[in-house]
Amino acid sequence: MAFQMGEETRQVQATWDVTTYNYKVDGRGIKLLADGMKDKKILGIRCHNCGTVYVPGPPFCRKCYIPIDEIAEVKDSGEVVSFAVEMADVRGNPLDEVRVSGMIKLDGSDTFINGRIQVDDWHDVHIGMRVKAVWVPEPQGNLSDIDHFEPI
Amino acid sequence: MRNVGIIGVGYTPVFVSKRKDVNLAEMVSESVEAVFRNTGLSPDDIDAITFGNMQTFEGVNLPHLLMSEHIRAVDKPIIRIATGGTTGMSTLQAAYYYVASGIYDVVLAVSWEKQSEGDSQVGLAGIVMPEAMVMVQHGMDLLGGRGMGGMGGGSTGAAAYQAMSYLHHSGADPEHIDKMAALERSNAALNPYAHLRKKTTVEDVQATPFISWPLRYGHTCPTSDGATACIVASEEKAAKLADKVAWIIGVGCCTSDPSTANFIEGQMTDPADQTVCKIAAKKAYEMAGIEDPAKEIDLAELYDGFAHQSLMWLEKLGLCKEGEAHKLLDRGVLNIDGDLPTNPSGGVFSTNAIGSSAMNRATECALQIMRKIEGEHQVPKTVKKALAHGWGGLFQYVTVMILSDTPRKI
Amino acid sequence: MERKVAVVGYAMTRQASDIGVPRPIMLFELVKGLFDQMGITRDDIDTFVLCSNDFQCGRTISNVFEDTPVGAYMKDETKVEADGVMAVMYGAIRIMSGLYDTALVVGNSLGGSEFRPYLIMDYQLHPAYDRQLGILNEPVTAALQAKAYMEKYKITEDHLNKIAARLLRNAAKNPFALRGKEDATPEYIASSEYLYEPLRELHCYPFTDGACAVVLASDKRAKALTDKPVWIKGFGDSIEGYFLGDRDLSWSRSAKVAADRAYRMAGISNPAKEIDVAEISIKFASQEPIICEALGLFPEGSGAEVADRGLAEIGGEMPVCPSGGGLGAYPFSAMGLIRVAECAKQINGEAGDIQVKDVKTAVAHGQDGFCAQHNAVMVLSSEEG
Repeated sequence: MAFQMGEETRQVQATWDVTTYNYKVDGRGIKLLADGMKDKKILGIRCHNCGTVYVPGPPFCRKCYIPIDEIAEVKDSGEVVSFAVEMADVRGNPLDEVRVSGMIKLDGSDTFINGRIQVDDWHDVHIGMRVKAVWVPEPQGNLSDIDHFEPI
Repeated sequence: MRNVGIIGVGYTPVFVSKRKDVNLAEMVSESVEAVFRNTGLSPDDIDAITFGNMQTFEGVNLPHLLMSEHIRAVDKPIIRIATGGTTGMSTLQAAYYYVASGIYDVVLAVSWEKQSEGDSQVGLAGIVMPEAMVMVQHGMDLLGGRGMGGMGGGSTGAAAYQAMSYLHHSGADPEHIDKMAALERSNAALNPYAHLRKKTTVEDVQATPFISWPLRYGHTCPTSDGATACIVASEEKAAKLADKVAWIIGVGCCTSDPSTANFIEGQMTDPADQTVCKIAAKKAYEMAGIEDPAKEIDLAELYDGFAHQSLMWLEKLGLCKEGEAHKLLDRGVLNIDGDLPTNPSGGVFSTNAIGSSAMNRATECALQIMRKIEGEHQVPKTVKKALAHGWGGLFQYVTVMILSDTPRKI
Repeated sequence: MERKVAVVGYAMTRQASDIGVPRPIMLFELVKGLFDQMGITRDDIDTFVLCSNDFQCGRTISNVFEDTPVGAYMKDETKVEADGVMAVMYGAIRIMSGLYDTALVVGNSLGGSEFRPYLIMDYQLHPAYDRQLGILNEPVTAALQAKAYMEKYKITEDHLNKIAARLLRNAAKNPFALRGKEDATPEYIASSEYLYEPLRELHCYPFTDGACAVVLASDKRAKALTDKPVWIKGFGDSIEGYFLGDRDLSWSRSAKVAADRAYRMAGISNPAKEIDVAEISIKFASQEPIICEALGLFPEGSGAEVADRGLAEIGGEMPVCPSGGGLGAYPFSAMGLIRVAECAKQINGEAGDIQVKDVKTAVAHGQDGFCAQHNAVMVLSSEEG
């Protein structure tokens, strides 16, 4: 009888190890933003050519393709561009309480930030809703200085 | 410039969540052997190969090197293309350019993914890992979701934002997403190469839990193992080699900024705005000489990782007016036997071997035009022009391909 | 060829062990600088071809954060995940299809500061077999390849030292190269440590950060963009099998097949005569004779003679890598692009201290895989013809 190859599958483990990378990330925009939050200010960068205000500010304007560095302050109030009501975690397990996160366009900014929206009943949240930031009592100069947003 | 057509398609025998019986190279070779079987061609007929997948999903760098023999590439030119979710279409478009340029006459395009060999969540998280770490260093509450700058959208990511924004602007109800999901899953039940093949009712979809409102578990795509191979040829060669040809008469591609999780540099694109999709479609239509896509396109295969997206893409691609897609759905226009069959294959929503997902949109269109669909999802109407669409990156890449039963006038 | 394609602009970063800035900044400064130098804007570019690699970037979909820095916002863009010569080739093919008139091809790699090249190469090994055994890695395979050539053609380590010394001397004159030594001698090379016998540290490529951008244009647009277009006359690539045991490592079948394709397209019948300079991608000194012979620049097995007689020197019969090549710097995805740009420099007489006299036709080469499993060859010329 000739030798026959049967089914032969082995499972072996190997990793793709991200800890072996030394990433460099441009953190100027995020640092500008975080530092300003200590004084309850929200700072971004405005393109001097087209006027687009980015929060956090990138080193160049995406549209005009020029370096930009003009600091712009935007309001801590804004409009809900879109939102989602989180009901389960990454693996699909239901959360104890639902939470609403929103894409918020701060007044004076052309970009969106993500933030948690605190409401009694999530059914009240809608696109176009006006919200304002609720700051922590003693801002430290980091992104958690705004605790959440609430309807105006 | 010359005409280029798809002359054959080959799939792995199945698209499933875990192909435990084959390794990477063996699985991909199944699709290559299938396309040779289906076309009667041999590796000698192939001038060059284009190849794509998302390599971080399996943890193999430049996998075309590893499987050069399995895909019959030895001594041939081969190029590796990778653009995230659009990889499959980018790979097929590369094959198109290869032939259109006049350099090669017959090109094999191969795309695949074997997601069971890696961790898809890790693979996806790897898109923004360094930026997320910097944001955490600046006090972002990654897991708790409090404060400012969190990833947002919950475990479906910004897809929930997109769905919400789409519903708001189009006037569709969340139930329309359920309905679209049921329609596509039921289409997939007819397709032997679909992954989730179960006739599904709206009630079945509504019985699944919400993950991130308005998206339910039943609105999300699976992760699949599978591969697709496709042969494209010049007009002259196609006449000799194939009885039926699906002509590629329009290609388009456009890149926006990474619009989600791009907190590091300010995201400026509403994920449901999709100007990027309109630009890509416009280019493809212009090339194809299509003036009124809503009238001229007979069938659409759209890249829908989430069920609301098919409706959204129909509008952004100009296949109906904005805010009309859910009305077409209600009227049955999008059914297999409707006027504009949409994702008769079941879509990415039912089968998602990521690297191949966007290519499968085009191969399904091609098979529908050739009337060579295996399975029950051949549409009854005559398909003269079909639109295939791909989407990927951080909500930023869109590719479009128009296929036709007649070549372009050049 | 229906449409002709030319290189009309190029720019590269200094190749460094640590470029010092994040990738997007590096790319923005490079491409913005190139546009300014050419007097064009991003609107003049019809299609963008990026060349990077998810493993090298440590990022799924590596181009996600590279598109806006190169000006591809709301433009046609794609990514080649292979050597840079492949990306230039694909850019040219896109133009030749008639759908575009200009293309920007950008490659980058931060192998000096962000990732570890030998580790990244390990991820090219068969995951269930070679990677598990842990025997093979990049320098080991290179040593096997070196032995195969050296045994067959009776060349010695001294010849390897001569090759490496020449490349380091060239690199010292190239302001963009990372590692050079003006007075490098074979003895200096021999004084470095063995990595894997017969390969010493100075026979191997240095870990490099770098990026390169090339603008391509159709014959219709080329002359409006530059008065010195460098024409892409021919290109080709080829791959061979994966398992080293199945391959004859003493020469490169795939480089030969790739070169044959490129020469046929370019109408070159006698490369040794018709080509004036070669910029090839070698990771190890031992690969130079193998690749050069496959490209038909020198006769088979002539490695010893070429090294002894200095035939590949800048003033030699067939100058190879006046830039210092892979021993001067090896920024993975940008490597092939830099070879193309160096060829363009030579043809335009812009190469400064490393300029070869009277260059009309140049050949650029790129490779991927262990022991150069996949090779790409491109012929460039000052003549449109």
